[in-house]
Amino acid sequence: MVKCPYCQHQMMEGALFCEECGLSLWGDTQGEVSTKKLEEESNEFSVKSGWGTATFQDLNQVIIHVRDANEPITIRPATEFLIGRQDSASGIAPDLDLSGFGALEKGVSRLHAALRRGDEVLSIVDLDSANGTYLNGQRLAAHQPRLLRDGDEIRLGKLTLHIYFKQ
Amino acid sequence: MDTFVDYYSVLGASPTASEDEIRQAFRLAARRFHPDVNKSPGSPLIFKDINSAYEVLSDRSRRDDYDVRYRQTLLEGPNLAVQTFFSRSHLKPISEPQLVYVLVKIQPAANRKIAVDAPLNMCLVVDRSKSMAGVRMQHVKTAAYRIIDGCKPTDLFSMVVFSDDAEVVIPAQHPEDHRGLKAMVSTIRPDGATAMLPGLQQGMAQIERNRASQYVNHMILITDGRTYGDEAECLALANKARENGIGISGMGIGEDWNDRFLDALAFQTGGSSAYVTSPEVVTKFLDERVRSLASACAERTRLIAAPAAEVELREMTRISPDAIALPVDQQPVSLGVLDGLVPSTVMLQFHVNTGGAEPGEFFVGRIDLSADLLGASSHAERIVKDITVSVSPDHFEEDPPTELLDALSKLMLYRLQDKAREAIEGGDIPQATRSLEYLATRLFEAGEEDLGNAALHEARRIAHTQVLSEEGAKKLKYGTRALMPQSGDKHG
Repeated sequence: MVKCPYCQHQMMEGALFCEECGLSLWGDTQGEVSTKKLEEESNEFSVKSGWGTATFQDLNQVIIHVRDANEPITIRPATEFLIGRQDSASGIAPDLDLSGFGALEKGVSRLHAALRRGDEVLSIVDLDSANGTYLNGQRLAAHQPRLLRDGDEIRLGKLTLHIYFKQ
Repeated sequence: MDTFVDYYSVLGASPTASEDEIRQAFRLAARRFHPDVNKSPGSPLIFKDINSAYEVLSDRSRRDDYDVRYRQTLLEGPNLAVQTFFSRSHLKPISEPQLVYVLVKIQPAANRKIAVDAPLNMCLVVDRSKSMAGVRMQHVKTAAYRIIDGCKPTDLFSMVVFSDDAEVVIPAQHPEDHRGLKAMVSTIRPDGATAMLPGLQQGMAQIERNRASQYVNHMILITDGRTYGDEAECLALANKARENGIGISGMGIGEDWNDRFLDALAFQTGGSSAYVTSPEVVTKFLDERVRSLASACAERTRLIAAPAAEVELREMTRISPDAIALPVDQQPVSLGVLDGLVPSTVMLQFHVNTGGAEPGEFFVGRIDLSADLLGASSHAERIVKDITVSVSPDHFEEDPPTELLDALSKLMLYRLQDKAREAIEGGDIPQATRSLEYLATRLFEAGEEDLGNAALHEARRIAHTQVLSEEGAKKLKYGTRALMPQSGDKHG
């Protein structure tokens, strides 16, 4: 049997595509290196009781809990909301600066990821960051937006955030 | 002249095989497909063939007669080429089932010029119900004018309209007086409801008047509504049409028609179906349909895919032209008219259990294609091909053929929308939501923003409504279908 690294669906030996989520099991997307880690994290993740809503209304706010931080951050993202680490040397200023949460030590890039507002949805896109963006334990391909749901876990390098939608 | 069959490949024996070798080959082949052992739907047909082949080849004098014809056919070479692409050529010697995809590609044989200008015997069957009024009917008329103008003098054209009842607007004829014919088309007035059966019956009757094997006999149905109460009869009619070598293609305009019904209608005969959101596209679809028919090189194409006893044929999907799931339990399946310029492709998905098979060659199954060639050399052709792979304990890193991967990646998108639709019908909204979101993700990855957004929109919508919108369901189905590779122009 083979297991889909994206949705954990079990398939027969010889499958070239995941029949559950359509992921190509062939070629570059087949990350042998991280297989073990993904399984661990997905087990942890499956304890969660189902998915949160994907609907994100115009007036909704996003609450971001940074792991081990005291205060959540509340934002109302514009069309494109940049997340990263401020760097005065290069003059880069993201919309959300995570410097105060140990971003540099935890491998957050200056322009690491972005939240994008769609038609009643919110998605996250990795901006080709050095250490990667993970959504619920799965690494995102650079520049490919993924839908966010209420309660999703995001990891930027080693910095973990939880996302909640608020009406 | 009856269809020439290569009995040597049916038995899997060499043309120089001795009597003993013929007997051995027969035993092996018969064992593989004996109805007591092999329960697959295609196997009785294959088994019958194996017996006929043995009857001839085991009889010295009959074999001598046969060999004369065999050598002659060999010299002429085949008219059609059937190629197979495998997702893997090596299986592991394990006891759990393994997946093997096989892409079957059918086209005229290289160096073989099959006449691709067979005359058409075509009937346009148009819904003139009230909802067609206005711009829809206007575009249908324009498309009809174009078809009339595009007809060769040898073609036959007829036109039928239906609403509460059906009437023949243009009886079957060689179009000479184009202006007169167009004037008849222009008098069509939309009114009434949609009753499809009488329309199809009248259309069939017009084609039947001149039906002959030198023609490509085809009916094109255009509708924007549902027919009530007579769907089963329409499908029975399509079945009869197929038996008579008449193809049906369907085109639905707008959102209110029944796509499954139209697909079934077209599928029965190996025709195609399409969804047209805007009336302007009517002409484009019809142009393409007529072009494809006019370059037909064979009709009544039928495919049998018979797996070995320990193998299961899980799915069978026509990829090009027009992706559609083919029923694995109703063999042979009809592939209809074969375009001489664009190859037809079918994807087979086998579940193979090698059990404790010894390393070596492993027989997966057999495909058997038959088609009636059009044109001067008009005769039937049959091609038998065995699918075998190797069982090997060694690990093989294989690159699947790009053509197969490409077809499969697009097929996956089509499947996801199908899966979502099935989940909704089964009341499983969470599964449907997941499938739609996965579909959206894959569509965005493929750069199909518009379809991706449509999938997301439906994913959100079903949380409230529990059903897909008519428009969304059709858009996703025909949209993902349109992404399938149409095999390009690889002719000649």
